[in-house]
Amino acid sequence: MPKKTKKTAAPLIETQNLHKSYFSEELETAVLHGINLTIHEEEFISIMGPSGSGKSTLMHILGFLDQPTQGKYLFRGEPTRTMTDDELAAIRATRVSFVFQAFNLLPRTSVLDNVMLPLLYHPTIPASERIDRSMEAIRAVDLTDRALYYTNQLSGGQQQRVAIARALVTDPDVIFADEPTGNLDSTSGNQVMEVLQNLHEQGGRTIILVTHEQSTAAHAKRIIHLKDGLVDSDVQSFKRISAKTNNTLEK
Amino acid sequence: MLLTDTFKSAYTAITAHRMRSILTMLGIIIGVGSVVLMVSVGRSFERYVLDQVESFSSHLIEVYPTGFEKFGRTLDSLSFADYEAVLKLTTVKDVAPVIFIREKVSVGTEEISPNIFGTTHHFFSNYSLKLRDGRILNDSDFKGARSVAVLGFQAAEDLFGPNNPLENRIRIGQRFYTVVGVMDTVGSALLQDLDSFVYVPFTTARAQTGQKFMSYMTMKATIEDDALAMADVTSLLRQRHGIENPDNNYDKDDFRARSASQATEIVGTVGLGLTAFIGLIAGISLIVGGIGIMNIMLVSVTERTREIGLRKALGATRQDIMRQFLIEAVALTMLGGTIGIIGGAVIGAVLTAVASKFVGHVPFLLSIPALLSAAGMALAVGLLFGIVPARKAADLSPMEAIRWEG
Repeated sequence: MPKKTKKTAAPLIETQNLHKSYFSEELETAVLHGINLTIHEEEFISIMGPSGSGKSTLMHILGFLDQPTQGKYLFRGEPTRTMTDDELAAIRATRVSFVFQAFNLLPRTSVLDNVMLPLLYHPTIPASERIDRSMEAIRAVDLTDRALYYTNQLSGGQQQRVAIARALVTDPDVIFADEPTGNLDSTSGNQVMEVLQNLHEQGGRTIILVTHEQSTAAHAKRIIHLKDGLVDSDVQSFKRISAKTNNTLEK
Repeated sequence: MLLTDTFKSAYTAITAHRMRSILTMLGIIIGVGSVVLMVSVGRSFERYVLDQVESFSSHLIEVYPTGFEKFGRTLDSLSFADYEAVLKLTTVKDVAPVIFIREKVSVGTEEISPNIFGTTHHFFSNYSLKLRDGRILNDSDFKGARSVAVLGFQAAEDLFGPNNPLENRIRIGQRFYTVVGVMDTVGSALLQDLDSFVYVPFTTARAQTGQKFMSYMTMKATIEDDALAMADVTSLLRQRHGIENPDNNYDKDDFRARSASQATEIVGTVGLGLTAFIGLIAGISLIVGGIGIMNIMLVSVTERTREIGLRKALGATRQDIMRQFLIEAVALTMLGGTIGIIGGAVIGAVLTAVASKFVGHVPFLLSIPALLSAAGMALAVGLLFGIVPARKAADLSPMEAIRWEG
């Protein structure tokens, strides 16, 4: 499923001094302390860091699943702070997609219906194209023969590939993957990484991956390390792993 | 999101969580069903009792003597002359005098102690008693003081078993009577003992007992207002008995008139109270059902909150979420409510049909107010507990909702 080019002058994602705190019973827990980051289209990035470093929080904000407490987040040059709920919903429906560690599929619902779900909320893709688009996304993750199975009848690796197909079906600008191999064994983890690498290399898709595992992170081209809510390092991957040449994921 | 998609999503959510959906509906089914069932059955039996009272007694007036009964003597305030005088009134008709014969009745070795009424053919029509076999008492029996008897259904069975009693002789006290008729069974729980009565001509009973007064008399009002006809009879008898009683103090009278419509009113009042009481109990079961719905919905809030988070992460707007949950809640409560109404009505109809086999026709009345208020309450509970949590969840950010721990 090749990516359609939608190039603009502004970078895809730009953050300036991004802060995030959680509040519970008047207790403030600061997670992000001022993140400055620029991400361009067609990048494949890993965000790494120990637990508590804020990597998931950062990704949720970048993926419009959460709001920053302070700072600027520009998406394609547009400030996101002033966007209404419906505008945010429209961006989630059309521009960004998520792959969660826990898959988050609807149980007792077919693979096809799960993959089709985001299209129900898509403002422009006509209903008549839904099945074709969904089947194409399912083919891209190599699950065509499982399209009518219930998701709870599939293995963990297969379920995560369904989630990737669901992320793919709206043809988004960027796919976020939050510890996508975290709940998988090394063989199915490797398969999932292979799918993601393929999407980037052959489909030209922008992928942002969050992980705490060096071996998983090394599949990306650029690795951003977070530490205590700040960017610790931001480097090109010097020893990139190709999932295609491996059978298992080192853990 | 298209409306058809919203319906499809709601349908998928309901069928994908079959147990949750069934449990939610169960609360509604039981609540609505029990209200419809109990109130309808209550109303049906109230109607049944009223029908019973009315069927045998419309416009019926009974006059009986009152006062202290002296040893070995029945009350003697109603004379035959009183009967002749009442006959002349235009506001009443079909006056039937009654004398009780206190004797045993026997055929061979079979002996029973029934109520024996010496009366006229008007008695049968006044109480709507139906003949099964032979004939009822007639005018020539009365004029000739003939020794003929009509048996109640049960009395005939007790005396003759499977044999045909017609033209056979029975003994009442020291006197023999020929059976000329057998009455049909009254077939009602309320009036059952009428079946074991034995009827003989009034004049014959008078001759056998030597009694100079009536045990009581019955008649029918010819005018619509039973109370007016009753007042007519009362003032005539007071005048004949020399009783001054302008303020209707019944203690001063030596007789008492009563109409069946008074009884109907009492039964109606009792029935209304009973229905209200049953309605209260049913209302409690509706509340219990509502709490059941509430529990299921609250238990599933965590799961639903995560689903809402996911749907929002995939691009659903707040409106998409609210619409889906509204349709889900309405569909579940409507389906549950419909099943409850149909179930309650069917069980009620079956119960009244079964009861009809034993106590005579019991009509089935579906209580529409009970049905509507039960359905309304179910809908309110379903909407409240379906939508309020959904609304809360829809206001969270997608990530807060997905990570919701309850």
